[in-house]
Amino acid sequence: MGEKTYVADIDRSRYDFRFDEDESSFLGSGLTEEIVREISQEKGDPEWMRDLRLHSLDIYNKIKMVNWGPSIDELDVDRIITYIRQKSRMNTDWNDVPEDIKKTFENLGIPQAERESLAGVGAQYDSELVYHNVRKEVAQSGVVYTDLESAMHDERYAEMIRSHFMKLVPPTDHKFAALHGAVWSGGSFVYVPKGVRLEIPLQSYFRLNAKGAGQFEHTLIILEEDSYLHFIEGCSAPKYYEAGLHAGCVELYVGKNATLRYSTIENWSKNMYNLNTKRALVSQGGKIEWVSGSFGSHVSYLYPMSILNGEGARAEFTGITFAGEGQNLDTGAKMVHNAPNTSSYMNTKSISKSGGISTFRSAVVVKPEAHGSKSSVSCESLMLDSISRSDTVPAMDIRTKFADIGHEAKIGRISDESVFYLMSRGMSEQEAKAMIVRGFADNVSKELPLEYAMEMNNLIGLEMHGSIG
Amino acid sequence: MSMIKLNKLPVPTFSWLGVNDTQREADASDIKTVTLDEEKSESEVLQSTAFEITARSGEIKRAVMFIDPTDKASIRTTVKAENSSAVTLVQVFEGKAQTMAKLDAKLSDDARFELIQIFLEPGDALSDINTTLGGRKSVFTANIGYLLGGSDKLDINLLADHLGRKTNSQIAAKGVMNGSSEKIFKGTIDFAKGCCGAVGAENEDVLLMGEKVKNKTVPLILCAEEDVQGSHGASIGRVDEQHIFYMQSRGLPDEKIVQLMAFSKIAQIVDTISDEQIRQRIYNKIGRGNKNE
Amino acid sequence: MSQLLTITDLCVSAEDKPLLHGVSLGMEKGSTHVLMGHNGAGKSTLGLAIMGSPEYTVTDGKILFDGADITNESAYERAKRGIFLSFQNPVEIPGITLSEFLRNSLEQISGKHMKLWDFKKKLKAAMELVDMDSSYAQRDLNVGFSGGEKKKAEILQLLILEPKLAILDETDSGLDVDAVKTVSKGINEYKNRTGGTLLIITHNTKILESLTVDKTHILSGGKIVCDGPAELVDDVIKNGFDKYTDKE
Repeated sequence: MGEKTYVADIDRSRYDFRFDEDESSFLGSGLTEEIVREISQEKGDPEWMRDLRLHSLDIYNKIKMVNWGPSIDELDVDRIITYIRQKSRMNTDWNDVPEDIKKTFENLGIPQAERESLAGVGAQYDSELVYHNVRKEVAQSGVVYTDLESAMHDERYAEMIRSHFMKLVPPTDHKFAALHGAVWSGGSFVYVPKGVRLEIPLQSYFRLNAKGAGQFEHTLIILEEDSYLHFIEGCSAPKYYEAGLHAGCVELYVGKNATLRYSTIENWSKNMYNLNTKRALVSQGGKIEWVSGSFGSHVSYLYPMSILNGEGARAEFTGITFAGEGQNLDTGAKMVHNAPNTSSYMNTKSISKSGGISTFRSAVVVKPEAHGSKSSVSCESLMLDSISRSDTVPAMDIRTKFADIGHEAKIGRISDESVFYLMSRGMSEQEAKAMIVRGFADNVSKELPLEYAMEMNNLIGLEMHGSIG
Repeated sequence: MSMIKLNKLPVPTFSWLGVNDTQREADASDIKTVTLDEEKSESEVLQSTAFEITARSGEIKRAVMFIDPTDKASIRTTVKAENSSAVTLVQVFEGKAQTMAKLDAKLSDDARFELIQIFLEPGDALSDINTTLGGRKSVFTANIGYLLGGSDKLDINLLADHLGRKTNSQIAAKGVMNGSSEKIFKGTIDFAKGCCGAVGAENEDVLLMGEKVKNKTVPLILCAEEDVQGSHGASIGRVDEQHIFYMQSRGLPDEKIVQLMAFSKIAQIVDTISDEQIRQRIYNKIGRGNKNE
Repeated sequence: MSQLLTITDLCVSAEDKPLLHGVSLGMEKGSTHVLMGHNGAGKSTLGLAIMGSPEYTVTDGKILFDGADITNESAYERAKRGIFLSFQNPVEIPGITLSEFLRNSLEQISGKHMKLWDFKKKLKAAMELVDMDSSYAQRDLNVGFSGGEKKKAEILQLLILEPKLAILDETDSGLDVDAVKTVSKGINEYKNRTGGTLLIITHNTKILESLTVDKTHILSGGKIVCDGPAELVDDVIKNGFDKYTDKE
């Protein structure tokens, strides 16, 4: 084939804008007990939270870095400024949000999207939630959607938060979970009462603006029996030269027969270290559905875990990862079957291009008591050139004979045969390749609400550019 | 005795899974070196041995080893397959004594290496297989079968390293786990940059029959070349429901179906051995008689 | 003649989706019935439900075979009673040879041990009849068989197992002219030798040529919409299903 065709790199120009920082708002860099105490005081933490922070710091200083996965040697955590407190406080009217921040969000299309189709928006600008609103009818149904700090101080939710916060992802889990426990700041709290089914999604949008900043938001979602929620999390950060860190934590509690769909389109800028921990605990008959797109970051470690704790609990994970130049994205999922007749399903795609490295990593664990469980994993990788890399590292640990576990993986390039077939139906080579790549990403785009699917299509930049260079 | 790390996974993963390596006491026993020069050889291996097999250009070599050491043993095998040669190696692990097997194979242009490893209630066996497909169009086939029961332990770590163009590896593992046996199968297909046109496929099919079995399956594909085709599949657990229904519809009760399916797993590997006598010896050992009768 | 199979108001669903809505069908011993219908009408579902496939749930109605209620019996028990289904898509089972499988099957159904020599003789004769090379006996069951060979292997099993009722689910579809002849020959041999009962699901007349059809049923939308004589087959093939299915 004469003309080389390329899939365009994700176009991030739309996200690469920023406003000047007011240096005085930095609380200092590096991680010491003083900083942790200061954060705690600033937040007005209850005593148990302050203790949890200090305990986490202690663990952080004791445990080792992970010895697998992409290198994070260049990440100097101590230099990352762990806390940036925005001057603005919580706002409930968009017009009260400071102009520069508002502009940032407007550029991202957030208020507009909210007006059009979203039940509620929580947008986090650096460490504080600056804007927050839940549509009236949603609030009337008893759904709580607020920032975690406010909820922690609200006597209606305080105990609920105390009994769930970092119980699913304890600070001992890994080094960055400990770091998170010590310095977490901002994030969302969602509570959906028994029987309430939210038909329209709630969304939060995270964004890192400060240079070299770390973002440690915490998302805690509790779904009671028979409820339904679709929560959308979107992330982006403008481009800086100093490496940023994102070590957020997501804890999801899915009640009996409840269903939670958790969608993420992550598009941090290419100097971010995304070391996020996400975990769901699913009760009897409940279901967690993860939809995950990983496009940004310099390095990512991201493996949402589903713990199927009640009989008949289910988990689905649908993901796509696009690793371009300078990116090393290590993504996947973990499924733990703890109860009888549980089922898990994983369907992932990854694309490597222009020297990008993508790794699919997974674990399926079926405990002895989980008889009658089923699990199916399917992962497919596409290599768009030979300077990139794509690894597949799945693992299964099965401890009951009453199980059906299936796994399949494929790796390769766009097949000449498919291109030929499409060309024989009148398409140009470019169109044919674009169509194949679009089709490849279809597993995720068809799971997303339309506006997000479109944003993802923008991100992938699926238009093929003929003969670059 | 010092502990050593064996069967290292080429790319480590979540440490809590316990699959990154396996620790055993080092084996200090004397190793006897045996060079297998003949075109065909059959060895009864009773102690630690280092085998060397070299197939020169155009040669076809075949070696069969029945491994049943009296005591803890290391079995090392080095295979060198030069241009256009072919080597078939059959290793049947029959003993209960701890056996640590290590195999290194290097394949030149158009060389073919066929490996068959069969583990018959092996006690505690480790097998580390490292095949370098260095030569253009070299082919590596691995058929691994296991029948585990009681508290048997089996730990296999296989690497097919594709360096040459149009190289091909086909890896199949099939087995049955009874009792409280434990097994780890780690299989890695590594496509190095430049191995254009390479194909690698890996498959594991495990039938779990014991109440307390522990099965770990870790199939890796590492890829730094665009022009390759890699795949892996695994199927773990019970007998396929459609198979059960078909067999039931032909009058077979469930116990019989399970028994037949268990035999079928190991049979699929045993049947890749071309020598009738050797097949028969294995079938006799597992008490099946002639499976064709 | 006495009744062999009596299906009354059978309702069947798969994964909570109803597929058959009250099918009633009676077959006398030694009779030959033809079941026709559009693709997706529920013909295979009916065949699989009679055989007791676990993928289908009987939600209402019952199936009597030789006077016994078999509605809740497993496929294995039904096979022992003498029901045989020639599958539309027989599964491939690696590691078990056709010969080994069939011998086990025969011993289970007949409840008798059979001498290897006698079995081999029987198998060889049957394989000759369906025009299968004897090497297939030592090949793994259906593995790598062509579509035609798989169908022949089903008829081979029919001849060896000699059931009371044989349900043939499109055994003739996808076969070339010669293969259809061979399969027909096998079916005739079964019929002549054992006087067995046949329920034939088909879209063609070729396979019926040397058989005496007693009744024809047309299945549409999970119901039997028409019961008729042998001639109904020709009419359907000439004029299509529409005038029967529109009656609803």
